[in-house]
Amino acid sequence: MMIHYRFLLEELRYGGKQVITFVICVALSIATLTALNSFRRDVHGSLIDEARELQGGDIIIHAHQPISDKLQLAVDSLAQQNYLKQQKTFEFYTVVLSEIKDSSLLSSIKAVESAYPFFGTITLTSGLQLGEALEPGTVVVAQEVLDRLDRAIGDRLIIGDVAFTIADVVAFESMRPVSFLSFGPRIFISMTDLDQLGLLGRGSRVEHELLLQLSEPGDAEDITKILSASAVPRVERVETAASARSRVRTFFDNLLFFLSCISILTLMLSGIGMQGSLSAILYQKQKVIAVTKAFGASNRFLLTQYLIMVSFMGAFGSLIGIGLGYTIKRLFPLLLGDLVPQGVGYAFHPADTLEGIVLGILVVTVFTLLPLHRLGTVKPVMIFRHETGAAKRQAAPIITGIICSLFLSLLVIRQIDDVKIGIFFVLGLVLLIATVSLTASACLWLLKRAPLPTLALRQAAKSLYRPGNASRSIIVTLTSAISVLLVIFLLKLNLFATFIESYPENAPNLFCIDIQQDQKDLFQAVVGEEVLLFPVIRARLLSINDQPIDPVQERERKTDNLGREFNLTYRENLLDDEIIIGGNSLFEGTERLPPGVVALSVLDSIAEIGEIELDDRMRFNIQGVEIEAQVTSIRSRTESRLYPFFYFVFEPATLEAAPQTFFSAIHLPRELIPDMITAIVAQLPNVSTINVADVADRFGQLMKRLSVVITFFASFSIMAGCLILISTIFATRLDRIRETVYYKVLGADSNFVLLVLTCEHAMLALFSSIMAVIFAEVAAWLICTTVFNIVYQPHWYVAGLTVVCSIVLVIMIGLTSSFGIIQQRPAVYLRQQNGT
Amino acid sequence: MTFTQLASGFRNLLVFIAMIILLALPGCDSPAPPQNAEPVNEGKTTGAEGVIVAMGDSLTAGLGVAPTESYPAQLEKLLAERGLNYRVVNAGISGETSSGAKARIDWVLRLNPAVVILETGANDGLRGIDPKLVEENIEQIIVRLKQEEITVVLTGMMMLTNLGKTYVTAFNDLYPRLARQHEVVFMPFFLKDVAAEPTKNQADGIHPNPAGYQIIAANLLPYVEKAIQIASD
Amino acid sequence: MSDPILRAAHISKHYTIGERRAIVLNDISMQLEAGEFAVISGASGSGKTTLLTVLSGLDKPSNGRVWLDTQDITDFDENRLAPLRNRLIGFVFQAFHLVPSLTSMENIMFPAELNRDPDATEKASQLLHRVGLWEQRHNRPEQLSGGEKQRVAICRALINNPQLVFADEPTGNLDSENSREVVELLLELQQEFNTTLLLATHSSEISDRADRVLSLHDGRLVDNGYRQ
Repeated sequence: MMIHYRFLLEELRYGGKQVITFVICVALSIATLTALNSFRRDVHGSLIDEARELQGGDIIIHAHQPISDKLQLAVDSLAQQNYLKQQKTFEFYTVVLSEIKDSSLLSSIKAVESAYPFFGTITLTSGLQLGEALEPGTVVVAQEVLDRLDRAIGDRLIIGDVAFTIADVVAFESMRPVSFLSFGPRIFISMTDLDQLGLLGRGSRVEHELLLQLSEPGDAEDITKILSASAVPRVERVETAASARSRVRTFFDNLLFFLSCISILTLMLSGIGMQGSLSAILYQKQKVIAVTKAFGASNRFLLTQYLIMVSFMGAFGSLIGIGLGYTIKRLFPLLLGDLVPQGVGYAFHPADTLEGIVLGILVVTVFTLLPLHRLGTVKPVMIFRHETGAAKRQAAPIITGIICSLFLSLLVIRQIDDVKIGIFFVLGLVLLIATVSLTASACLWLLKRAPLPTLALRQAAKSLYRPGNASRSIIVTLTSAISVLLVIFLLKLNLFATFIESYPENAPNLFCIDIQQDQKDLFQAVVGEEVLLFPVIRARLLSINDQPIDPVQERERKTDNLGREFNLTYRENLLDDEIIIGGNSLFEGTERLPPGVVALSVLDSIAEIGEIELDDRMRFNIQGVEIEAQVTSIRSRTESRLYPFFYFVFEPATLEAAPQTFFSAIHLPRELIPDMITAIVAQLPNVSTINVADVADRFGQLMKRLSVVITFFASFSIMAGCLILISTIFATRLDRIRETVYYKVLGADSNFVLLVLTCEHAMLALFSSIMAVIFAEVAAWLICTTVFNIVYQPHWYVAGLTVVCSIVLVIMIGLTSSFGIIQQRPAVYLRQQNGT
Repeated sequence: MTFTQLASGFRNLLVFIAMIILLALPGCDSPAPPQNAEPVNEGKTTGAEGVIVAMGDSLTAGLGVAPTESYPAQLEKLLAERGLNYRVVNAGISGETSSGAKARIDWVLRLNPAVVILETGANDGLRGIDPKLVEENIEQIIVRLKQEEITVVLTGMMMLTNLGKTYVTAFNDLYPRLARQHEVVFMPFFLKDVAAEPTKNQADGIHPNPAGYQIIAANLLPYVEKAIQIASD
Repeated sequence: MSDPILRAAHISKHYTIGERRAIVLNDISMQLEAGEFAVISGASGSGKTTLLTVLSGLDKPSNGRVWLDTQDITDFDENRLAPLRNRLIGFVFQAFHLVPSLTSMENIMFPAELNRDPDATEKASQLLHRVGLWEQRHNRPEQLSGGEKQRVAICRALINNPQLVFADEPTGNLDSENSREVVELLLELQQEFNTTLLLATHSSEISDRADRVLSLHDGRLVDNGYRQ
């Protein structure tokens, strides 16, 4: 193989902007892919750690009663063989008394050994380790204990038969998230004090846990199997930390999935960009290639040279991409903060680098096939002909298209581990391109025949129809790029609207349940402001359209089951976050219902589960009393807020007399919550309060971070999209420049030329962006309604803005690339054309 | 890993939180079989000599067992075997406290019962609610039922040892005291021979299994028979 | 005698290619009278094309001045040159330079349309008939033969009835048959439209028919063609 270094060097030097575009495209795609894959690998790797953090051990044995002798023996024997270390914990509720004042508080006691925990962290306000602070006779408590009992560090609490000194306060407990909704705050006691409490024994309800730390964490599965054999079935649960269901894990899986989608789209856009910029390089070089061929260079020689050039650019781009990917990865912990599982390192695994290089080669190869193939079609005769003829139709683009699709499908399948979605993804893409292509042709045909008022406009329209018909491929490229960007943007907006913006700062963080009818006024008075109280009436569903509900069958359902006890409510109006999707109003046509039948509004989610439709009859048993209801409307929630919702809403008259309690969701500044709880409990002792301030804060933070990460990744796609816009317009500018020169020779002034150029680009952009908007809206709507199952808002202003921005950007790029020509005397260009 | 899972990930979290919030422990509203679902018409006692309402929380509702295995259903059968043709209506609500029970007395009265078996307070205890309040609530329920000349079977409850002697004593004592004061039929401990017996309870260690309910129904039977007798007099 | 339609004084043109300075035109002074048919002759590389582009305002001389119809266009910017190119001048190129996206008809009409001539269609039709290309009026350049293209280009150059037509090797890309036809056409139309024609060629056949032949050699005007 012969390599002509000078030839290559010259090509690179004069490739200019196109070479840069190419390299950036490669870098962008590799950066997103490698950063993400590396991050994902780390996350998966550290999920075990994270799960251990959450569970406190490699293996957790859990029971509501003392661990059976058989199981304990099995554990002990493994411990003797140094396979593991063990630790016991006991957890139970008790009513704690303040020593001085006559006040008490239901608290969650956890008795731990001094080495607790094996994994995870418990942060104390003093900065001490739990084991250091927790001496026999002392307790370490949650701040809420101090607040509610009006105690301080050093004061004493009575637990069971023993008085303890409060030694320290818990600031953070990593094992707590699973049980964040509890009726009482945490108190740690030392295991040595447990027996003296007098709280254990027959008639006690205690959660027994045995935490195991393995010498070889890899043995977790095997040891779990061994121990399970000794466990009492259904009573003693033996679980590995990894198998214990972790919401954090699900969260990361979901996040990575969405980001993977974005990274693939970025790759696709970059691929189009690569193809475009390489085509442009080769197009500019057509004459050089023709000359080289005239001097006897074989196709093979040329292909070799350009392949080497492309490989060089690809390698360079990949290197930049890997470097960029590393940087991005370093940013992840910043973006995600403490949401990133412990142990996600900054190191870039050699596998990541290797993967980056392999992907880089593949990406470059696949996306440069077509332009390189065209090399062979350049004929030496082009030196003598100045007008480029229309390219002949060839099989090559179709074959390349198939190869690209296949490559993308494989990549999608690899990235998101789902064959079906991969195929849908690529099919959708092919459909998009085919439709855009056909529509573009149709529109160009129409445009050619449209009576346009001014010469400039006519001229612009005709330019779009110039020989070679690059316009269609420009439109296809622009449309794909813009629609992909818009889809990402619209999905982002809709996801945020549903999950993030609907989680406002003032989301409820204190829930009060079991407020009684006669306590409504008192509750309002205690809370001190007008709060919404939701009546809750417990009932069971008996039948739908006289079809009895089969409880056995219902229990088989993976979704919510219709056989359970439901919470009914009554009210006259829709809530702020509800819309009617079936019927016209909540209780429409109540007066037409037969006597004894009442109106009922059903939420869409349960309507789906029970296949309930408008005018269906449903029978409920409200604690022995039956009512027959007819569905007068179907509601849907517009936001998945952390807010109460009810499947079944009745008219007040129907249920006002039924036994009911009230439920309230309040937002308070975090620091006021303990006092508020104290006040409520003092005045309304039967009311139970659930303090979710911590969860609410964490959830809010999570959503904010999530939005940052998604925005961050989406910006890569946006960058790739803009690059494509630029490179596409650049790639085809030679045709426009030539026409510009001809116009000038024929006496057109700069205004005319600018007008034609502006109109031409505006038409391209307008057409592409409008098509893109239609596609993006349809695609985003489909994804939101069928896949995400969230309410879709079309965000037309964003769509409009996209159209405007695309037009402005395309015109700007188009004009910039032609601007020099306008000011120059035409001879400069004509001379180049004549090759002298 | 699908899009749906992405969506359901968020959703599960929200639904999970919302559910827990809405439904009080321990009778958490996990999927549970429905009650005896034969039609009951207000105030009518078709074919039966009368109605007995089993009022209570998840222990009465039969959380986690089939409707026919809950104690009211078993009791109805036992009564029938003895020629007592009474319908026992299951009016148990999982998670209900004594305050909730008090609030729905009027609703229960609509069933026109001859006897009410009152089993409540366990959820108050598990949430550490002041026993004084529980006592007041149950007292008011008894008074209201007696006003309507309904015979009351009160079932006593014993709180978990781990809540502390002071609390447990205050709680456990309120039932016999009320029974004495109001002269109701009194079953000292609803979960007699069942509580803390692993073989008589479900895996959660709190809710009886069918075998447990069999014992409860059998234990209850003499008290209910006595109540029926009083009611018939 | 009226003023010359075109006058050039001491024009020269040089390019800098790398370190080297190439002098393409060297101190050329000349003029054209209205109605004249002048030929610039010279070997390849003698600077014919460059001289034509400088004289017509498509390029700027490095030194010297050019007057078109008494206006000194040397320092005109592109926008001031535009109306001159549109109405005063016509061009015919060796490489045709037809707008590829336009049909023959549209190519011819284009300068008239730019000039907002309401009779553009009428005039273009007449010209197409005149040059025998009416049947090909809807063909685009790629669908025309070389000779046809050049005839379209000539029509396009003449549609605004310019005072001066520049033709740069108009037969350079044509076979002899077509060359003859194109030259005949040019000369006939020059007579009909009464324009001045400045034609660069190295063909002696064409030079022989000119009123005057200016000889260019290595960028110098060696003969201004006036017979003494």
